[in-house]
Amino acid sequence: MATVLLADSTWVLFVNICLNGLTTGFLYALIALGYTMVYGIVELINFAHGDLFMLGCFFAWSLVSAAAVATGSTGALLLLLAILLLTPLFCAAINWSVDRVIYRPRRSAPKLNLLVSAIGVSFIFMNIGQLWGGAQDLDFPRLVEDRNLLPADSGLQFSLIDAIVISVTVPTMIGLAIFVKLTPLGKAMRAVAQNPMAAQLMGINTNRVISATFLIGGALAGVGSVVYVLKIPTINWAMGFQNGLYAFTSAVLGGIGNIPGAVLGAILIGMVYSLGSWYDARWATTLVFLILIVILVFRPAGILGTHTREKV
Amino acid sequence: MRNAKLPISWEMLAVAAALLYPLVPAVDDFLFRLTHWRFGFVMPTIFILAILALALNVVVGYAGLLHLGIAGFFGIGAYVTGILTVPAYPFGCSFWLAVLASTLVATAFGIVLSAPLLRLRGDYFALVTLGFGLAVMYSIRNLEEITAGTKSLNPVPPPELLPPFGQLFEAVGWGTDWASEYRLFYYLTLAFLLGTILLLRNLERSSLGRAWVALREDELAATCMGLNAARLKLAAFALSAALAGMAGSLYAIKLGSTADPLAYDFNRSVTMLCCLILGGLGNRNGVLLGVALILGYDNLLAPILDDVQRALGEQSGWKKIVLYPFTLLMSTKGKLMMFGLVLILMMRYRPEGLLPSSRVREEMHEGDPAPHTLPRKE
Amino acid sequence: MIGRIGPWVHGSVLLLLLTGFACNKAPQNTPTASDDGGAKISLKGTGNDSSTSNNSPAGTEDGTVAPIPPKPAKFEGPTAKSGKIKIVSSLPRTGSAKGQTDTIVNGIKLALEEVNYKVGDFTIEYEDLDDATAQAGQWDAQRETSNAQRAVQDLDVMVYIGTYNSGAAKIAMPILNRADLLMISPANTTPSLTKPNTGDKDEPARYRPTGRVNYFRVVPTDDVQGPVAAWWAKKMKVKSVYILDDGEAYGKGIADLFKSECEDERVRIKVLGQETIDVRAQEFRALMLKIKKENPDLVYFGGTTQTKAGQLAKDMKSVGLDCPFMVPDGCYEKAFIESAGADVLNGRCYVTFGGLPPSELVKQGGKSKAFVEAYERKFGKMPDEAYAVYGYECALVALEAIRRAGEKNRQAITYAAHTIRNFQGALGTWSFDANGDTTLRVMSGSVVRDGQFQFETLLSIPPKR
Repeated sequence: MATVLLADSTWVLFVNICLNGLTTGFLYALIALGYTMVYGIVELINFAHGDLFMLGCFFAWSLVSAAAVATGSTGALLLLLAILLLTPLFCAAINWSVDRVIYRPRRSAPKLNLLVSAIGVSFIFMNIGQLWGGAQDLDFPRLVEDRNLLPADSGLQFSLIDAIVISVTVPTMIGLAIFVKLTPLGKAMRAVAQNPMAAQLMGINTNRVISATFLIGGALAGVGSVVYVLKIPTINWAMGFQNGLYAFTSAVLGGIGNIPGAVLGAILIGMVYSLGSWYDARWATTLVFLILIVILVFRPAGILGTHTREKV
Repeated sequence: MRNAKLPISWEMLAVAAALLYPLVPAVDDFLFRLTHWRFGFVMPTIFILAILALALNVVVGYAGLLHLGIAGFFGIGAYVTGILTVPAYPFGCSFWLAVLASTLVATAFGIVLSAPLLRLRGDYFALVTLGFGLAVMYSIRNLEEITAGTKSLNPVPPPELLPPFGQLFEAVGWGTDWASEYRLFYYLTLAFLLGTILLLRNLERSSLGRAWVALREDELAATCMGLNAARLKLAAFALSAALAGMAGSLYAIKLGSTADPLAYDFNRSVTMLCCLILGGLGNRNGVLLGVALILGYDNLLAPILDDVQRALGEQSGWKKIVLYPFTLLMSTKGKLMMFGLVLILMMRYRPEGLLPSSRVREEMHEGDPAPHTLPRKE
Repeated sequence: MIGRIGPWVHGSVLLLLLTGFACNKAPQNTPTASDDGGAKISLKGTGNDSSTSNNSPAGTEDGTVAPIPPKPAKFEGPTAKSGKIKIVSSLPRTGSAKGQTDTIVNGIKLALEEVNYKVGDFTIEYEDLDDATAQAGQWDAQRETSNAQRAVQDLDVMVYIGTYNSGAAKIAMPILNRADLLMISPANTTPSLTKPNTGDKDEPARYRPTGRVNYFRVVPTDDVQGPVAAWWAKKMKVKSVYILDDGEAYGKGIADLFKSECEDERVRIKVLGQETIDVRAQEFRALMLKIKKENPDLVYFGGTTQTKAGQLAKDMKSVGLDCPFMVPDGCYEKAFIESAGADVLNGRCYVTFGGLPPSELVKQGGKSKAFVEAYERKFGKMPDEAYAVYGYECALVALEAIRRAGEKNRQAITYAAHTIRNFQGALGTWSFDANGDTTLRVMSGSVVRDGQFQFETLLSIPPKR
């Protein structure tokens, strides 16, 4: 049956486009998780999260460039592991500092007040990106050879990089789920998400929990930026806004505050974007925005969210 | 009224200065020699964007809804004017008709969009407006058959002066050439701005304006008092869309083209929001002050500093070391950072803005220790 | 405050004022009187222009030289026989085109320095304006407007070198035209800026409200470049092509011209599809997968480095689409190779370009060679980017026009530019036609090898039999 279907080249194309959408979706998922976790805990739409991801990409780029100057080679697996370790640290540190300096003193302020601050942070990040890498697209050196893993005569495309993306992303998500479900800090997070006041009365240091959330969200963005530059090796300062919006839409689609929802939403958005580009490359982005609007208006709780949903 | 004791208020001085500026060419000439920029040509754009800021203020300041897509309505206004006036289309509408139609079409979009929007909570409202603004921008870009895409619709013809004005301007030696004589657009846009200010001033004092404030302060209480929250929000949203559409129309006419669709991007919306937050939400004078500071920086100071910076870049020595970082931040290269800092610092230390409305200021200093202007919405 | 009399009274007074102030504008009015003039002037020149572009072999000169228009009885406006003359340029100096515009400005400065900033009794000053903003990363309509107005207002400004983007030119041209200010573009290639019947029906008259021509360009236009690319593809035995464009004036324009030439019966390359990309998208893999299914012999992209040419090339490679990739001169810059990565482009990326690359210019000898050598001496590197020589040529034309006019008068200098025929510049010997276009039709094709553009061949359209 499969061979019959695949004999038709439109089906091959369809499968290829879905596979492409799937890996893109996993990229969005890592960013979307950061949105959804922070929202679950402090009900802040962290507008700067996409741009944090962008800074992560620039950081990784600088690391690789420095390594290239130092060692004269860029293809080392060691280097990949190094940036996979350092970039999340960098992003986590930035996200934590931003929370410490900007959001924490205003914790009691109205939510929209904080949203405006977050837009401000996003602008500052973008400007740092501009000064860091200039206005043009930068090419990210290839760390891994982009080899197709599927037999060439099938016409299907699933490369080594796609495999790496999934093999980094899926364990990260499973780890996160276990962390939130089982560890004391994870339990504290869920408690704060449900009711900060009650959590505090139970002896939970809410500020510490919130800081931890920002740390984890930042680290996820860092992981996201490393796998992103492997898959799409072009970086520029505007990439954060665009990808951030896709990721945010994913989080909303899945039900913001809901971790499995964010992943599901991201995969759906990846598919929609990929299939949309197939139909008409110009309108794919608009399609994502329309989904954002429609979901927010008609089903703000998202696909997986319920009214009595458990946040985080 | 703030300066009730003084016979002259700051508002009057500002209006008088704005009216008199073109009449004393020496000032413009002096600034031109100093900076190589004709301020008179830039001012109309600032006046137009001031109308846009006031439009945004209706939703954000009066009704207390965070609106991130005002540029969408601005773009709709500009493109309706473009379609109605450029020679590529058969309409060839007059200036006045084009402005009116742009205003109406933008209002219609506002009303249609507000229907699903009004039951959303604060942050979702913000994101839907954001999505709407971007969708408009992308649609303008993609609907090439109608909007000419990035090529933009041009030329949008300048208005034609009615006989008394035409002769008047000929008599004082200004002529009637809109391209070379900045005073024409200057006074035209200033008149529109003053008209908008008067309209809003009267609205604020009307029952509608008071109802908006009541709604902003406490939606539940307001509804209990018999106010129809949905209808009030709709009115605010529609009025804002109308003014933004009008501003967009003027913008296209001033520029002589509908510009690149990027002119109606998210950046535009946030720049306007910066003006409001810096100046003072809900307060007309505050908003205008914010416009003067932010847009004055954006349109006048930053380009001038760009020139300075580029000149410095070729020099060496202490001047470069001392001034370069400063001009870098202040020039367009550091523009986003400036805007970001304005948003963050204002939200942190003075959320009511530099020039808060008396009502907001009193709220800030009585009772509630946590100052806020944007309402809590859950 | 104003409110004492009563706000509503004021409101209505103001509204009345508004209605009276600006009213009933019939849009055709301003341009009509002049439209005819503009059209006439243009038509005279293009009789042979648009038709011969296919007949005469590109790569040689047109042969015919347009007659020099009669000198007007009197030049209007202030005049002087000595003093300071300013030349300004308006180019995107920030953003992604900076690499290109740096070399244009270098070219301009080189030309001015060679005459020691002096023409006759005039001293020349040069101002380098920026029409881009850092956020947009490209030209901005508002900035281009201010630049043009600033130049018009400054009575010392006699020449406006610019713009880089054809879209920006559309905005600056009418403003400068009203002031009869000489405008010379080093890089605008959209045909409809000067040539009738290549765009909307009121083009180019709409850019010439006075009906006079004040806009000149030293660079061959896309109605040469697009078709020439199709012929090059034919020469490479390409049977089918997939065309992409960025939706912008330049990119879409050249892609359309490429497409129509492909469909020409003499070329007969099968066009499998044409699509406009979203230039803000971060990746185009889905699109490339779709194109791969069509299995074209060539992918042509009408666009620039700034509109994601590099990313397209990368995504082509990553989905395993191995066919060659052809781009126009908007990508003939280092930044393109940097953004795509050399290994993606090596040996498979073909670039068309109006004029000759430095390596060929040197072989031409004469002024061309002198330019390359002087440039290398002064700036320590070859003028690698495509437009350096055009910046230089623009400045030469500006200086020549000032010299011929012999007075500091905008109309006189603009007229002087009209009289330029058989000009011996760094690009060779060429003339302006009545539209203000260069008669030069030299096109070259380059291939990316070892991360460099390498000259491959001169391009031309064979004459019709």
